[in-house]
Amino acid sequence: MSSITILMTLQNLAGVLTLAGAIIVVAVVIFVISSTSKEEDKDAAKHKVYSVRTRYFFGLCLVLIVGLFISLRLLPYPRANAVADETVSIVGVQWFWKMANGERTTGPLEFVGSNEVTVPAKKNLKFVVTSADVNHSFGIYNSKGVLVTQTQAMPQYNNVLYHQFDEPGEYYVVCMEYCGQTHSYMVGKIHVQ
Amino acid sequence: MSTLEISQVEKKKERKLAIIWAVTFLIVFPLLVILGLYMRLNQGKVVELDYTKFYAFMTMHGLGMAGVLFSVAFAGLWYLISTRITRLSLGVGYFVYFTVLIGFLALAYGTLIGNFAAGWYMLYPLPFKGASWATWSTQVSAVALILMGIAWLVGILHLLYALTKRYGGFFNLLGWQYLRKGDHEKLPSVVLIATVALIPGIFAFLAGAVMLIMYLLQTFEPSLAFNPLLMKNLTFFFGHMLVNVTLYCGVGWVYALMPEFTKREWKVDKVVVYSWNATFFFIVFAYLHHLYMDFAQPRSMQYIGQIFSYMSAVPATAVTMFGIIAQVYHSKMKWSIFPLMSLFGMMGWAIGGFAALVDTTIAINVGLHNTLWVPAHFHTYMLMGVVLFIFGYLFYLFSGEEGIHLKNVTGKAGFWLFVIGAYGFLLMFYLSGINGVPRRFADYQGIEAGHVKETGTQLARYAAMFIYLILLGLLVMYWSLFAKLTRRQKASAW
Ligand code: HEM
Ligand SMILES: [Cu+2]
Ligand SMILES: [Cu+2]
Repeated sequence: MSSITILMTLQNLAGVLTLAGAIIVVAVVIFVISSTSKEEDKDAAKHKVYSVRTRYFFGLCLVLIVGLFISLRLLPYPRANAVADETVSIVGVQWFWKMANGERTTGPLEFVGSNEVTVPAKKNLKFVVTSADVNHSFGIYNSKGVLVTQTQAMPQYNNVLYHQFDEPGEYYVVCMEYCGQTHSYMVGKIHVQ
Repeated sequence: MSTLEISQVEKKKERKLAIIWAVTFLIVFPLLVILGLYMRLNQGKVVELDYTKFYAFMTMHGLGMAGVLFSVAFAGLWYLISTRITRLSLGVGYFVYFTVLIGFLALAYGTLIGNFAAGWYMLYPLPFKGASWATWSTQVSAVALILMGIAWLVGILHLLYALTKRYGGFFNLLGWQYLRKGDHEKLPSVVLIATVALIPGIFAFLAGAVMLIMYLLQTFEPSLAFNPLLMKNLTFFFGHMLVNVTLYCGVGWVYALMPEFTKREWKVDKVVVYSWNATFFFIVFAYLHHLYMDFAQPRSMQYIGQIFSYMSAVPATAVTMFGIIAQVYHSKMKWSIFPLMSLFGMMGWAIGGFAALVDTTIAINVGLHNTLWVPAHFHTYMLMGVVLFIFGYLFYLFSGEEGIHLKNVTGKAGFWLFVIGAYGFLLMFYLSGINGVPRRFADYQGIEAGHVKETGTQLARYAAMFIYLILLGLLVMYWSLFAKLTRRQKASAW
């Protein structure tokens, strides 16, 4: 089970899809180059290519429409009827995270939180994410180093991210938006129990 | 109609301008690649750069590359149009050149000396909060970019004006006469594509200029503040368009010149007109995919972003890619360096485009946004797309209309080194993205999750080795290019 979940990350899916696409493209290029050893009348050649093109056109449209139907149902955004078991407030500041359980009652500047927070597993958590200065991005990695989910931390806006941790353990917060000099050290921790 | 003829003297003068642009590109490009090399060496912990220096390099590299590639792509269109289609003003041409050059040097001063380091996109309000550089560097860099923007706007407007006059109406440039019944003058495909590329270019540069002026105002009046979500929309509207426009400029001369090698016409017809007009429409909205992770952005715009990004794959592949296949298939052509680079450029565009399509799926983007997957895909279609188109054009320009058909062993050897190096370099970006390595990280030493730190560092080292190969390939291509230009090399005929 767990080996399957490792294999089935979004990142691996992207890699496999792109590899397949790249192989097809390279194969077409090789085929086209090798076809030039032969000569054919230009109208006959065009006719052949264009009849493939018609099929390609409808095939592609079909794939894109099916792709849209499937993928637009799997959006990371909060659903209108979403209910949270618990709320976690997140504020990005150059260059650390202020995180605390519960609803934030102050402005982002005054808000007090820490670089580590503890949350329960198997609960639907509502992360309310914002910034006290520039844009940051709240990215969550699991202990295996897989980027699980993220949302931007933009000043003046609250980005709401629902996430449920299915397995307890250590999770890591990494800033995913360039926010100045020590951006690459703007990290935090989430303990999931 | 003899007054419309472009004289030999005029052609010579336009060629000189084109060569000045080309040589400038050939000097600047490898310097920007070396900034990229330093970034990867720092990420691999082979060298130690100051953080501010790293990000100043990143900013100069990104803006410099985008600027110089657009410039030379535009200069290439200018050259083709001014020598084959309609007369263009040399005065305007040199004005664009010198203004862009001054802007470029000022930008280098602002970033490399002044340490302006807000990234190419200088995401608002980053330049104003916690900046590690002086306000004057922000001001110099903003003015530099505004200068370049003005120069390009002037150049674009002049070119479109001349074409409109030549073809008797603006909509004729978009090929709309093909959709009506009746006779009409033939429209060269390069004119259609130039128009479709450059009109959004105007919007892009205007959006960029407005934004930069807002930035400038705020440096003088710090109490000003703008809406960060609006600014982010403007930023990516500008950036996304600029990249697309650059790509289409390159595609323009592939359409124009490929027939000289395949001996088959590449005509404008209804399908081509519909396709490029649709492209025009798609690229204006596809930029929204840069804001997927801004959950506060209206939901409808997220949908539009994904739908339009998906759709843009249709004209690009079904018309342009199939167009080049129809050119080449069973054509018994000789693979001299121009068609080789053009076809490989299309290949890079297709592969990078495919990686983009995957990433523009919102459900997948949540795992790839701001990882190295993003530089991976756009470097694929810039470096293995646009840059190859540009080198193809440069070989054409330097070798001349006959010389380009000759055998060029040195040039091709350089090409292969370059291609192998580049795909190796790109593969490291892709693998990093798959392994969750974030982009715009000076180094990965601070990441504790899993093996991200070790993987990212190691892949950066491998990437650096491939960059040396890229530089070697460039050197060999330069050797061949300058031999062509000075005509010292007597290439043997096929
Ligand atoms: C061999 C050639 C090149 C090398 C070695 C190179 C290297 C790099 C590296 C290491 C980064 C930083 C990635 C990160 O950690 O986020 C980068 C970013 C970038 N590169 Fe390149 N690059 C090359 C070619 C190009 C080309 C042809 C373009 C054309 C547009 C380009 C445009 C950019 C841009 C826009 C960025 C993002 C800058 C930012 O985030 O502000 N690069 N490149
Ligand atoms: Cu941050
Ligand atoms: Cu950051």
